[in-house]
Amino acid sequence: MSDPAASATRSIRRELIGRLALGLLVAIVIAAVATYLRARDEANALFDYQLAQMASSVTGMPLAPGAPPGGRPGANALVVEVWNRDGVEVYLSQPQRRLPQYGQPGFNTVATDTGEWRVFSMLAGDQVVQVAQPMNVRRELAASMALRTILPLIAVVPFLAVFVWFGIAKSLRPLERLADAVGRRSPGILAPLAESGLPREVQPVVHALNGLLARLDTAQGAQRAFIADAAHELRTPLTAIHLQTQLAERARTDDERRAALAELRAGLDRAIHLVTQLLTLAREEPGVAERPLARVDMAEIARGVIADHVAQAAVRGVDLGLAAAQPGNAEDGEIVAVTGDAAGLRTLLSNLVDNAVRYTPAGGRVDVAITNEDGAAGLSVRDSGPGIPASEHARVFDRFYRAQAAAEVSGSGLGLAIVKSIADRHGAQIALGPGIAGTAGPGLGVTVRFPAPPPASS
Amino acid sequence: MRLLLAEDDRMIGAGVERGLKQDGFTVDWVQDGRAAELALEQKVHDLLLLDLGLPRRDGLDVLTAMRRRGDIRPVLILTARDAVADRVAGLDAGADDYLVKPFDLDELAARIRALLRRDAGRAQPVVTYGALELRPATHEVRLHGEPVVLSAREFALLEALLARPGAILSRAQLEERLYGWNEEVESNAVEVHLHALRRKLGADAIRNVRGVGWMIAK
Repeated sequence: MSDPAASATRSIRRELIGRLALGLLVAIVIAAVATYLRARDEANALFDYQLAQMASSVTGMPLAPGAPPGGRPGANALVVEVWNRDGVEVYLSQPQRRLPQYGQPGFNTVATDTGEWRVFSMLAGDQVVQVAQPMNVRRELAASMALRTILPLIAVVPFLAVFVWFGIAKSLRPLERLADAVGRRSPGILAPLAESGLPREVQPVVHALNGLLARLDTAQGAQRAFIADAAHELRTPLTAIHLQTQLAERARTDDERRAALAELRAGLDRAIHLVTQLLTLAREEPGVAERPLARVDMAEIARGVIADHVAQAAVRGVDLGLAAAQPGNAEDGEIVAVTGDAAGLRTLLSNLVDNAVRYTPAGGRVDVAITNEDGAAGLSVRDSGPGIPASEHARVFDRFYRAQAAAEVSGSGLGLAIVKSIADRHGAQIALGPGIAGTAGPGLGVTVRFPAPPPASS
Repeated sequence: MRLLLAEDDRMIGAGVERGLKQDGFTVDWVQDGRAAELALEQKVHDLLLLDLGLPRRDGLDVLTAMRRRGDIRPVLILTARDAVADRVAGLDAGADDYLVKPFDLDELAARIRALLRRDAGRAQPVVTYGALELRPATHEVRLHGEPVVLSAREFALLEALLARPGAILSRAQLEERLYGWNEEVESNAVEVHLHALRRKLGADAIRNVRGVGWMIAK
């Protein structure tokens, strides 16, 4: 009858109904017991009074055996007995139900072989009057009173169940509406859900959802801005390529054509460089690819990166090399290890060296150094280029930002953004400062300091 | 016609400069906003080609300041910013046209000609004066319907004189129209070209006002 899939998942409605029914049941039982106890107490008081009244009324009456005064004959009727001073029975209302004389005057509850009896005896003149009644009369009365009280309650239960069933459905409707509103959302719509008019129980859920939506919106906005920026940046080399293609088509002499083709080639190189840098940046985005961390020897990375850029530096007349040992610098053969992603660290240093070589004028110098200060590894790239004024230090790490002085040199504006992204991933700090002062200016020194590894004890 | 090109990207700037020179324009190229403002103060250019993302002074600032000074020379914006809001901002700041990168050299030249034409108060692509017909787009000149072959400099001279018939242009003014900053002006070059023009179009086509300059009589 019941759907197995539905019974497998929890239902707030069913659980609520179950708990409510259980609570109702317990309440009814408690009410029945309480009513019974109370009714019994009241019946006791009432019947005790009746017994005493009966005893008083018997006193002084002319007594004839077999003629019960007042009480009806029957199983529940009172049993009245009268004895004289000598203990001789002078009256018995129901001969077939004789009770012994109980000495104590007043009320007594006695157990006999015909069940419990309530007995009242009193001394009147020279007679002893004893009136007795079976206790079960009282119990039956109390039980019937209790039953009468709880019967309407039990009758109400089905109505209550139906009412609660629909009531819960109505109360849960905001949740259904919420699920519906979330379900109908297209991925692009990240406007917050309405928080007003919601029950207090649903509000925290919606509030948390709205928080998530806001964060998603921010992330999506940043992504969209990045794509717009990237497309915008790609347009520049593409425009140059377009222009040079047209000029090559128009060229009338071989020299003109050669010049246009050389420019065209340069434009293509620029576009390729930009696309490569964009891809690198996309790969270095946090959370895009979690690559395994390993112990990386920074000196080895530095040697590899320098080897990659030596030819480019030579063409530009720049002296590129590993800085000589000095205090703070790693010594020959010393292994300066960083726990990190080797490919990322190579990209980081490669971008710094590439920048340095690009911006350093011919005859200048680029020094790469690996440092080891109190166990914290670091690297620095210093050049004798024009440097970057301090006012621009904060902005050069922005994507596509190019320093004012950089207009002379072609570049993507992404190099330092990539460096920052990788450094952030490694928890490293980047500092910009003067490099090697030269004819072009104060030079630029970029220092990347990695966090010290945790103590070896752990 | 002499144009001022304000473009910070070297490759694009060089390409546009060369392409427009091939189309017969005289082009001066500056690479930042300040240099553009200095060049505008000389008042020798007929039109400004303006990139918006200029260093030192933003292109839109250059444009706004220029219009505030009452400078009404035509401005064509060349930019990679193609959002509608950007175009609206550019045109509202006083630009006459807006071309989004990457653009075609031929289209750029055509738009420049259209702007110059409108600036001169003409709608037709052909300048006619008496029996003389001049087509800036194709550099064709006809006299009484017969084609006349002119060199690029001769054509530029004739175009400058025809722009305002009746006005006398001095030798310096004509040189300004003909030569960019980096071009060397040969002495007597203007006279040589004018002489050739008069030979081809008839001696009374261009009148010499002694000690003042040259004009095309109204």
